[in-house]
Amino acid sequence: MTRSPWLIVKWVAIGTTLALLLWIAGKYAAAGQLPFVIGVGFVAMCVLLVYGTSRSVPMKYLFPGLFFLLALQVWPIIFTVMTSLTNYGDGHMGAKEDSVKYLVAQSVTEVPDAPRYTMSVAVTSGGDVTTSDLVLLLTDPTQGTTFVGDADGLSPISDGVVKSETGKITAAAGYQILGAREVNARSADLNAIAVPTDDGGGIKTSGLSEAFVGKASIRYDAAADRLIDTATGIRYQPQNAQWVPEGGQGQALTTGWMENVGFRNYTDALTNDTLRTGFLKILIWNLIFPLISVASTFLLGMAFALLFNDDRIKFKGLWRSLLILPYALPGFVTALVWRQMFNQDPNFGLINKTLGWSVDWLGDPTAAKVALLITNLWLGFPYMFLICTGALQSVPGDVKEAAKIDGASGLRTVQSIIMPLVLVAVGPLLVASYAFNFNNFALIFLMTNGGPFEGNQTQVGSTDLLITYAFRLAIGGTTPNFGFAAAISMFIFVIVALISLQGFRRTASLEDVN
Amino acid sequence: MQKRVYGAVALAGVSALAISACGGSSTPTATTAASAAQTAATSAAPAPAATTAAPVRDAAVDLVIWCDNDRKPIIDKYAAQFGTDQGIKVAVQVSTDVRKDFKDATNAGKGPDVIVGAHDWLGELVQNQAVKPINLSAADQGKFPAEAMAAAKFNGQVYGVPYAVENIGIVRNTALAPNAPATFEEMVTKGSALVKEGKATNAVLLTVSKTGDAYHSYPFLRAFGGGVFAQKASGDYDPTKVIVGSAESILGGEQFAKLGKDGILSTNIDGGIVDQVFDAGKAPYAMTGPWAIEKAKKAGIQYAISPLPTIAGKQMTPFLGVQMFYVSAKAKNDAFAQEFVTKYVTKKDLQIDMYTIGKRPPALTEAYSQVAASDPDIKSWFEAGKGALPMPNIPAMNSVWGPMGQATADIIAQKDTAANRLKAAQTEIEANIKKAG
Amino acid sequence: MTAPADNGTAVTTHAFDAPPSAKKRDPWSIVRYLALAAALVFALFPIWFIVAAAVNPAGNLNTTQLLPDGFGTGNYAELTSARPFWSWYKNTLIIAGFGSIFAVFIGVCAAYAFSRLRFAGRRPGLMTLLLIQMFPSLLTFVALFRIFTDLGDVIPQFGLNTSIGLILAYLGGAMGGNVWLLKGYFDTVPKELDEAAKVDGASHARIFFSMTLPLITPILVTVGMIQFIGLFNEFLLASVFLKDVEAQTLGVGLNALLTADRNKYFGAFCMGAVLASAPIVLVYLSFQRQLIGGLTAGSVK
Repeated sequence: MTRSPWLIVKWVAIGTTLALLLWIAGKYAAAGQLPFVIGVGFVAMCVLLVYGTSRSVPMKYLFPGLFFLLALQVWPIIFTVMTSLTNYGDGHMGAKEDSVKYLVAQSVTEVPDAPRYTMSVAVTSGGDVTTSDLVLLLTDPTQGTTFVGDADGLSPISDGVVKSETGKITAAAGYQILGAREVNARSADLNAIAVPTDDGGGIKTSGLSEAFVGKASIRYDAAADRLIDTATGIRYQPQNAQWVPEGGQGQALTTGWMENVGFRNYTDALTNDTLRTGFLKILIWNLIFPLISVASTFLLGMAFALLFNDDRIKFKGLWRSLLILPYALPGFVTALVWRQMFNQDPNFGLINKTLGWSVDWLGDPTAAKVALLITNLWLGFPYMFLICTGALQSVPGDVKEAAKIDGASGLRTVQSIIMPLVLVAVGPLLVASYAFNFNNFALIFLMTNGGPFEGNQTQVGSTDLLITYAFRLAIGGTTPNFGFAAAISMFIFVIVALISLQGFRRTASLEDVN
Repeated sequence: MQKRVYGAVALAGVSALAISACGGSSTPTATTAASAAQTAATSAAPAPAATTAAPVRDAAVDLVIWCDNDRKPIIDKYAAQFGTDQGIKVAVQVSTDVRKDFKDATNAGKGPDVIVGAHDWLGELVQNQAVKPINLSAADQGKFPAEAMAAAKFNGQVYGVPYAVENIGIVRNTALAPNAPATFEEMVTKGSALVKEGKATNAVLLTVSKTGDAYHSYPFLRAFGGGVFAQKASGDYDPTKVIVGSAESILGGEQFAKLGKDGILSTNIDGGIVDQVFDAGKAPYAMTGPWAIEKAKKAGIQYAISPLPTIAGKQMTPFLGVQMFYVSAKAKNDAFAQEFVTKYVTKKDLQIDMYTIGKRPPALTEAYSQVAASDPDIKSWFEAGKGALPMPNIPAMNSVWGPMGQATADIIAQKDTAANRLKAAQTEIEANIKKAG
Repeated sequence: MTAPADNGTAVTTHAFDAPPSAKKRDPWSIVRYLALAAALVFALFPIWFIVAAAVNPAGNLNTTQLLPDGFGTGNYAELTSARPFWSWYKNTLIIAGFGSIFAVFIGVCAAYAFSRLRFAGRRPGLMTLLLIQMFPSLLTFVALFRIFTDLGDVIPQFGLNTSIGLILAYLGGAMGGNVWLLKGYFDTVPKELDEAAKVDGASHARIFFSMTLPLITPILVTVGMIQFIGLFNEFLLASVFLKDVEAQTLGVGLNALLTADRNKYFGAFCMGAVLASAPIVLVYLSFQRQLIGGLTAGSVK
């Protein structure tokens, strides 16, 4: 048994990986991102250590998975925790300075009856079009007079001025006019330009060849840290990450900023009246829903797996493949089909039409729960069918022979021999499935949106899960507050983790069954 | 991966719900739920070349526009024209949820330069420092109807150039109902007679659904002087004055109670069913918008469009929706973006071409006149939108859709009186707005 | 061989003795086929309505009548004329194909370690893996977005708007539930096999690749399918990554169609969804032999 060719393959693979990492590190270094360079270097060291030495055999197998897990699943969790300590959300996304700049810039309005100039952007001859100070060459469209505008103001210009038919200056002595691309490349500088005018306004550019006289109605007093609306005279002070009028009367300005709020989101969640009143009712349903969902999908999936695992069935591969179709089609269209089948009106709803009932499936609290469970059974059984079919293949052939469902003995075989074997592989997935259904936002959202709502309110719905409830409270039914949403999702995580760990302990005992 | 699949379900679900239950291309449900999964997005926009020595991807692209799947072919055409005129390269990209993707991507400095979207996104986009005023000249503003321009304004500033307006009206099956109805009562009488004769299954189709639909129910409240927010002197909506539970709105709510009791309106009717029944020729009237027309045509329905009628002697008016082009506040190619939006979107040809896709009245008056002369539907939609107030574009509207929609659904389902239910909704809305600060 | 249990019916008792195909008059076979038919009807009847909407010119969903109000190929034309539907198809196959192959490989390696090797932190590691999957992912996409915008700034080849970046992002889900399923299956393969090979002097890598992997093909197919279906329909991340229409996947393209103008394109969307489900069924069908082809524990005894 010669190992050398494989050894070469191994080192070539390690070498390639290291070369790739080096290249990436080089790119980061060029971009000046030192932390990333260090990170990549660390990964490279790990690769060398794990695969170059025989220090840890398990690590050789775990490393790739761990790498992606940490980067793409653990980091988002850390990010959520960090977000939960801020007020990040609509209206609170940027820094405070940004909000000042934005609010001031937004308040610039065109001075009525002031001329709208035809404009060219230029630099003084010999200047660098990418860096030199910009000047505006302006033509008053009504009078045809031409000006040059810079930080000092407007001054007339006529030397060597050539105008196009639209009045746009295409040449002027002493100036080099920028082409469209060059103008665009300096958009940021153009935005900063305001050629001062006599009435206290400034000439601002609009697009490539127009300029107007604008005036900002909001002014920032840096010393006092106040925004002042010069039109109304209202002074706005920073408070709760927003600009609110001094004295507390009136509306805050639209744009606020993001800041750290410590544990406020957590205390808010704990003291939130809506959250408290709805919590228990929702928690109970939230415990039951995933339990029945997992049990029903598993039993049906398992039954189908056994049924379709019988060699005596012709074309069983085909039937099996068709059976996964409910899983293969996008859930939002199939859920829509079920929602319509559950329509109360027999003209539209297949179920009431077939059964001759008039159950208000999606409008009655109990019926809506049943409808959800049925829909989830249909949506979820193919997944269980898939994994059970896979897991069944580990069952020894002779046992399988006996398991062909031919009556009582078959059932007994299933119960006493096959199920334990299958559960070894599938048990933990049942726990995972419970956890998934615990937070099955999509299904609820598609079918009932948490409803029906009882008692003249839309906060607590009869089919709400904690996650849909939290979503409405923090994001959907109000101005989105992701910090608050993150804090609530931490609570939900703790609840589902505690429950799942219990279930996990039970299945863990199955692990070393053989 | 089970999780992923359902993740997809989550967001897509938003669209599905939006589709079946709501109104406006500025769909309320999509609005609120859009933030559901908090996805983010990016563009192929070049990184700021000047700031780092980092390689710049797609450096050749000088302007990036985001729009929906539907309108891309037309925007492509004018983007190419703009590109040729300026000697630059323009990329038109498709986002499945422009509103949310744009907000998130811009926040990360990766957004496009121009987006195409509905006017009711405006307040939220301003709140998040995502869009900037476009300084359209007074002359150019004058080329649009005042209502369309009003919808494009926030705090008195113009933030976009409108290219289409949309609103709901009465679409009738002319085989069943040859004449335009003047009153809602007439629709009910005529429709009920048809149902009795077995020629129809529903007298009047209106999207209600189990969770309600504030967009489609608004005209009932508005008819009596109610609505969502009171207006300030400037015409802007005042988020501190919610009028969902006002005496006027309650008068509209009482109509719901009556129509629900008589079985004319039902929470079993959602957006999908409105289309299904109307396109099957089983209802004489549907209260719906331009998006429903193409399907009805394909189904071979002979139809006509007329304005919303009066109810109890009061004229119903719908929400006016405006679709427009915005410029990003963090546009990398700001000068090109402004130039394109202010100079190209205001062109008649573009506005007429955009009409061919969505079949909405063009916003530019000149383009509208030309289209209306050849397409009677467009004229009818425009007439149906006369006197309509723009859908509020202030961020507080996020807190309204859910409670207001559910309240109307509950009234139709006879769960409580109109007065109790609408007042409760008002309390809820006010609390939500207050919570948001 | 386990002796057939006494079940009181003569027919079933000797059903075990003869090859199945030889059984012509097996009364249970009718029951079996009836059950099979019922299962298929339950699974497929709601899907029929989607097919009906796909061929209905108006594209409306109607769950109370079996046949649509009209029939036409307009939705197909709508789907393929103005939109690069077949590019979406190709992109999706490539991304889901490679994504699931990599994910299965990473998963099976990790599962092997968890099942066969003993190391400190093995059980807590497994438990942590499961716990991580339970975290409500309200903000996950914001975090992923940040990672890949940063990455894309420096290395455009791996950033947003690239298939490679998207496949990398998908690999975050390579561990997780899959590892548990794979590990469970590994646990059912007798350890004696490895040990015998070890005595022969085979390295752990050789045992893993040439002996253990072939034994577990059924579960590889299963996990591969779950991954493939997941990635095939994945929409959220893909829509964040892919903005150029030609580069988009079916999930993104079809969703864009659905969100474009209310339910105006619902019929075209249904047509696309139905067409898109074909590869999933075909892939599973083509792997049926591998699903039973692995040496099962019973047959190596």
